[in-house]
Amino acid sequence: MPASRKSRATGPPPPSTTLVLDNGADTIKAGFVTGGKADDAPRIIPNCLARDRHRKTYVGSELEKCRDFGEMAFRRPVEKGFIVNWEAQKEIWDREFFDENAPQKCDPSEARLVLAEQPNGLPALQTHCDQMVFEEFGFASYYRGIGPSFNAYRDIQAIFHTPRTPDTPVDVPAEVILLIDSGYSHTTVTPILQGRPLHPAIRRLDVGGKFMTNYLTRLLSVRHFDMRNETFIANEMKEAVCYVSLDFKGDLEKTWKGTRGERREDFVSGAGIAKDYVLPDSHTTFHGVVRDYDPGGASSRGRKAAVSTEDVLTLRNERFVVPELLFNPSDVGLSQPGLADLVMQSLSVLPIGLWPGLLANIVVVGGNARLENFIQRLQMELLERVPDECVVRVACPENPVISTWLGAANFARHEHVERLAVTKQEYEEYGAGWVARRFSAGLGVDT
Amino acid sequence: MNNFGVIEIASTTTKSTPGWAYVPDTAPALPAAVHSTSRKRAARNQPALTLSDLSAREETRIRKELEALDRDNPKDVNIPIPPRPGGGSRAQNKHTPNVRKILQSQKSFANHLDDYQAMLALAESNPAAAAALNAAQAKPSTPTTAVSKSASPAPTPASAGGASKRSAAAAKRAAAKEKQEQERKKAQHTPKPETESEKLGSTPPQQAPQRQQQEGDNDVEMSDATASTAQPPPTAPAAQISYPRVSAILPAYAKPPPAAHPGDADPLLVSRVPAFPSDDELRALMTAPPLSYLEARGAWGEEERRYPVRVFCAVCGYWGRVKCMKCGTRVCALDCLEAHREECVTRYGL
Repeated sequence: MPASRKSRATGPPPPSTTLVLDNGADTIKAGFVTGGKADDAPRIIPNCLARDRHRKTYVGSELEKCRDFGEMAFRRPVEKGFIVNWEAQKEIWDREFFDENAPQKCDPSEARLVLAEQPNGLPALQTHCDQMVFEEFGFASYYRGIGPSFNAYRDIQAIFHTPRTPDTPVDVPAEVILLIDSGYSHTTVTPILQGRPLHPAIRRLDVGGKFMTNYLTRLLSVRHFDMRNETFIANEMKEAVCYVSLDFKGDLEKTWKGTRGERREDFVSGAGIAKDYVLPDSHTTFHGVVRDYDPGGASSRGRKAAVSTEDVLTLRNERFVVPELLFNPSDVGLSQPGLADLVMQSLSVLPIGLWPGLLANIVVVGGNARLENFIQRLQMELLERVPDECVVRVACPENPVISTWLGAANFARHEHVERLAVTKQEYEEYGAGWVARRFSAGLGVDT
Repeated sequence: MNNFGVIEIASTTTKSTPGWAYVPDTAPALPAAVHSTSRKRAARNQPALTLSDLSAREETRIRKELEALDRDNPKDVNIPIPPRPGGGSRAQNKHTPNVRKILQSQKSFANHLDDYQAMLALAESNPAAAAALNAAQAKPSTPTTAVSKSASPAPTPASAGGASKRSAAAAKRAAAKEKQEQERKKAQHTPKPETESEKLGSTPPQQAPQRQQQEGDNDVEMSDATASTAQPPPTAPAAQISYPRVSAILPAYAKPPPAAHPGDADPLLVSRVPAFPSDDELRALMTAPPLSYLEARGAWGEEERRYPVRVFCAVCGYWGRVKCMKCGTRVCALDCLEAHREECVTRYGL
């Protein structure tokens, strides 16, 4: 490694433009850092090839032009958080970044790429990624780091609203955080010290946004309409109505219709839980609408339905049973611990002296963090499990989806990037194996 | 009883001859402990199904359902890449052999995972062949994965065990033990030089920030302070060792401590802080190699396995309190049972 440092000292100066990519399974978060100044927010690009019912195909951000999402089919280059199908991924990247009229035009030969990946990737896929970046796109400089650890480069204490004086220096990277990344494919728990992930303690729960959407689809197909081909609509519905229950037993009791002939007050009135969801009809409306539950029931709806032909679903326990999978995956037979237990498993391999620091700085990022009451429930469950003396603080940044990107953009301006990034010359000289080893070794310990 | 002079002797020897033989059954039947060579016999010797046990059929059903939940699309779709609107100029670029191979690969993640497992298995059974394969394929990061597989001290998730509500109790016990330890230290007011010096390591105790600590305030940090005075003391009483202790990796808390409170000395209110890991421990943690994809998966520990999982009504989603007699599906009450019967009859007949 010293040899490489020497070669860098004599090499060309690092490129001034950095393309920061958080290449998620559902969306790409992309933006530039130029000369120490980052974009305010990344552009969010759907990372898929989508085909609608008229067999028209949309690539990446073209999906914005699509209006009718009925029977949408998707091809995703990223599976389980890792870029698997490069044929599709290259097409999307080309159209978004490298073509002449791309919306975020970038010349790879004069740019650095900072790419966020999921922890615990397969070596073969990581090599593919490195080879594509250098041999196909030809970036001048490149770093591939695990997404959760980029979050440490954000101002973590601002996320927690820790009281402090304005002149307090901001620790970048943050000294100690426990990062929970709950995305499309899975949920990971990563303890991070000084920006370095503690690899032995990283744990993964194979429940993500996709899993929950599919579960909602299944429930609706059993109870209401066949929604199996309407993944996109089910996903919109999940984002609109699902919430994490703080009292699962109580909520389940309230939404039960009761035994035969019984009229339960809570069920009839909806108990504040039931919601009506108006499905898009694909002619005049293209997005669903949430309405308050109409206890008038079928009769008044029947009158309305005579006027308008809208399809209304009444959602009751579907609203909270679906996100409950994050905390009790065994409800669908998945033999994995729930999120709070997963955090405890992760902590159990760490010395107990680190627990207070980690538990007091739990940050939740990723799209699922937007579910109502997610952090409250996590905090509640963790408090039951940890020693009484530990303070448990769970927080979620303002926009959890772009948090990793913002962290990565800060990282691209930090001096750490100079120590970690690999240039094209180095790749050509030492080969892909060397690059992979260098990235997996990370920063080391010395600050 | 007249047994005609024949005396039966219980024999404990068994002969492993082909064919079959009577084997004396001297122990009480413990089906779980029977390690039969034949899988059929092992299956037959299982005890009767308990409520929490799943039949093979149910297990298959659950596995299929989980696979369905993990899919991107309900059906297999094949979406070809559409032609570029402006005519693809980049498409004609020449690719390097590596890139061509990657672009043409139609492998899914499951395929890659299988490959990886096969490689690991090969590395375990035949290291030389695996090394040769690696050299041939120039798979880069196998050195690190090999390390993580064989020599890494990192425990696998399975051995890491489950930490649930019950094991939280264990954690609390551990913390309580720690607490007792510190109380004992406090009571003795005699530092343990060997452990403390070991924890402090080779780094000399840094000049801790000046902290206005009240005299007679004997909370835990005080016990640390007394411990540290065994070291070459910086400036005797004014200097106070900070938490975490002197560490090059995680610097000490450098700000003045919060104002003293009259309750600080109250043994019921004192907050106790577990010992901070040494720099060496932290260094080992921070430089440990990544786990493999499968090792990082959260797995059920003993605790989670011990209790039955929650079951829900297959029709309405309430607790599954009743079992369908025909297929074992759970439902909540009569209404849902009837709704389920219609489906059950069409699937399995009357």
